[in-house]
Amino acid sequence: MLENQNRHTSNSAFLNLQIVMSTLLIFFLNGLTNGMLLFLIAAGLTIIFGVMGILNFAHGSLYMLGAYLSYSLVVQGKLNFWLALAIAPLIVALVGGILEILFLRRIYKQDVSFQLLLTFAFVLIINDSVRLFWGSAPLTTPLPQILQTSIAILDRTYPVYNLFIIVVAFLVGMGLWLFLSRTRWGKILRAAAQERTMLGVLGINVPRLFTVVFILSAWLGGIAGVLAAPLRTLSLELADQIIIESFIVAIIGGLGSLPGSLLAALTIGQINSFGILIAPAAQVAFPYILMAITLLFRPQGLFHRE
Amino acid sequence: MYHLSRRTVLQQLSWATMGFLLACNSNTSKSDRPVRVGAMYLLTGGFATYGEFARDGINLALAEINQAGGINGKSLEVIFEDESEPVQKARRLVLQEKVDFLLGIDSSGNGEALVPTIPELERILMVTHAASPKVTGELCNRFVFRCSINSPQNSAAGAEIAATEGYQKWTTIGPDYAFGRQSWEFFQKALQERKEGVKFLTKTAFPKLGTQDYNSFITTLQNSGAEAIWCSLWGNDLINFIRQANSFGLFQQFPVFMELGAAMEVLTALGEQMPVGQWVGTRYWWQTPDTEVNRNFVSRFRQKYQTYPSYNAQNAYVGLKLLAQAANLAGTIETKAVIQALAGLEYEAPMGKLVLRPSDHQAIANVTWGKTAASADYNFRILEPIVVLEGDSITRSSTETDCKL
Repeated sequence: MLENQNRHTSNSAFLNLQIVMSTLLIFFLNGLTNGMLLFLIAAGLTIIFGVMGILNFAHGSLYMLGAYLSYSLVVQGKLNFWLALAIAPLIVALVGGILEILFLRRIYKQDVSFQLLLTFAFVLIINDSVRLFWGSAPLTTPLPQILQTSIAILDRTYPVYNLFIIVVAFLVGMGLWLFLSRTRWGKILRAAAQERTMLGVLGINVPRLFTVVFILSAWLGGIAGVLAAPLRTLSLELADQIIIESFIVAIIGGLGSLPGSLLAALTIGQINSFGILIAPAAQVAFPYILMAITLLFRPQGLFHRE
Repeated sequence: MYHLSRRTVLQQLSWATMGFLLACNSNTSKSDRPVRVGAMYLLTGGFATYGEFARDGINLALAEINQAGGINGKSLEVIFEDESEPVQKARRLVLQEKVDFLLGIDSSGNGEALVPTIPELERILMVTHAASPKVTGELCNRFVFRCSINSPQNSAAGAEIAATEGYQKWTTIGPDYAFGRQSWEFFQKALQERKEGVKFLTKTAFPKLGTQDYNSFITTLQNSGAEAIWCSLWGNDLINFIRQANSFGLFQQFPVFMELGAAMEVLTALGEQMPVGQWVGTRYWWQTPDTEVNRNFVSRFRQKYQTYPSYNAQNAYVGLKLLAQAANLAGTIETKAVIQALAGLEYEAPMGKLVLRPSDHQAIANVTWGKTAASADYNFRILEPIVVLEGDSITRSSTETDCKL
């Protein structure tokens, strides 16, 4: 009898432990999803800053454009999600290229405030264009068919699409890192970040390089938009919500540093997630507190090399 | 000979012009000038869809009023304005545009800022959306009316439904500002009055307004140990929450009572992603009541805009109609007389019979709740069954509202 009861209590202790473990694991995965998506967006922001020295406020709007384009392709055009993932970011990249060639190119030599004003103008123009084309009512796109399931994690289930985002963002991050560290183009980009004038002297076409970088960054924003669309409502707030968090990530990581952005995005993701578990009332403030601490003690950001 | 210098001519001419203009002005403002209403809504930014629905409702009402002879024989016109910086905008509308009435306000925050400044403008403000209890509570004044259902009425209606179900332990998810907190507070109070032994958990979820990622809030709800969830999220936040909750299977585990789940913009955006069999509320549902007034309104609205009217469209439509009817009853647009006509006015609205209670100027009307159901005839979820809750039983008595007119 006593033995039985003993076994029972140890059984329930084991069950409790399992519940705690699965809860923690799910909070961790939530944070990872959040962080990896944030990384995809912040990566584009940080590459532009690293190479061109431009703070692109319109990056969130390019992300929003990617999401809305995927709505047009998937819901209105009846294409499948994978085609949208291939096509929509290319269109966003094209828009980015046009913005760089027609506008940004003309103000590189001007004061930095011109860039801020110009990219802020892009925000207003893109947001109002989205409203003009797609309207202001909220829209949604469906989850891709084969990712509509969830998998068992201990005693819980977890949506496969979240894991998919983690994997894709990881792959894109790896691809970017390989591109920057192993290819000739990557070397040129890193050189541009260090010493732009010397690069020009060495015969590199710097204006064209800038166009390519801006297109690459817009393409990344577009990918993030398409990936986020099945999870997040398409509305005119989409851009405003994401740009602040992405800037926090870029600043904490060190503007221009890709590994820094990754670390910062993952940290913010976990803080966002576990903040809800530990201190729900103060959770909103944590990313800002982290940024304030970074700016106080390491104003150049975690990974920035001077 | 009389000497005419250029200066004298100019001086005389300008005096004459001024006199002429003054004469014109007093002429138009007294007799021929149309009656003007200044309508203030969220017309820009992420919530613009609310303002657009309100504008549609108002334009429909405007056409009907003018067709029926306008106000005391004069035509009616409406000037739209974005409601950001509501106090300045209201002043501009009254002092520059010379509007005779004010109408609108989507955001509760904007409503609470604007209401105390209305007496100095000496114009009536008809609130058609902002649901803060303060608008017809501690901030109330005799110039302000509200023709829409407020937050305590919504919560009480939900509690009335909740009391009929067996759930004892409740938690909530709501936006982290006054509305979400008040909604939970009023729901607890209303449910306690209607059912014994209910428990309200301290483990709640209050994501900030505009949150995109609800995953960890959903995990919190799943761990809360509750039997049912009261949800006051609305608009884009509610859509985000529902889709992510679908991925986590939340609706299979918990009944979720969604205070504003039957809002048309939410149902349209979600389509089949809206789970079936969940209780949802709204501030007007186009299927009820089955009256001629409502059927006509819905069909005229659909004819004009090819979409079903949302609650905000109905509320704004009713707001303008009420102002017109009261001014016609009073036989004048003079503020004091119209206030008298509005207080206690009974009106047959699309949403059903509505009374503007004289003690606090809050509309009392029935509220619709229902369970989400799939239908082959619509590409969004509809309500089946529908439950109509009596306006009197879900409205706090005027002694409870801290309103002194």
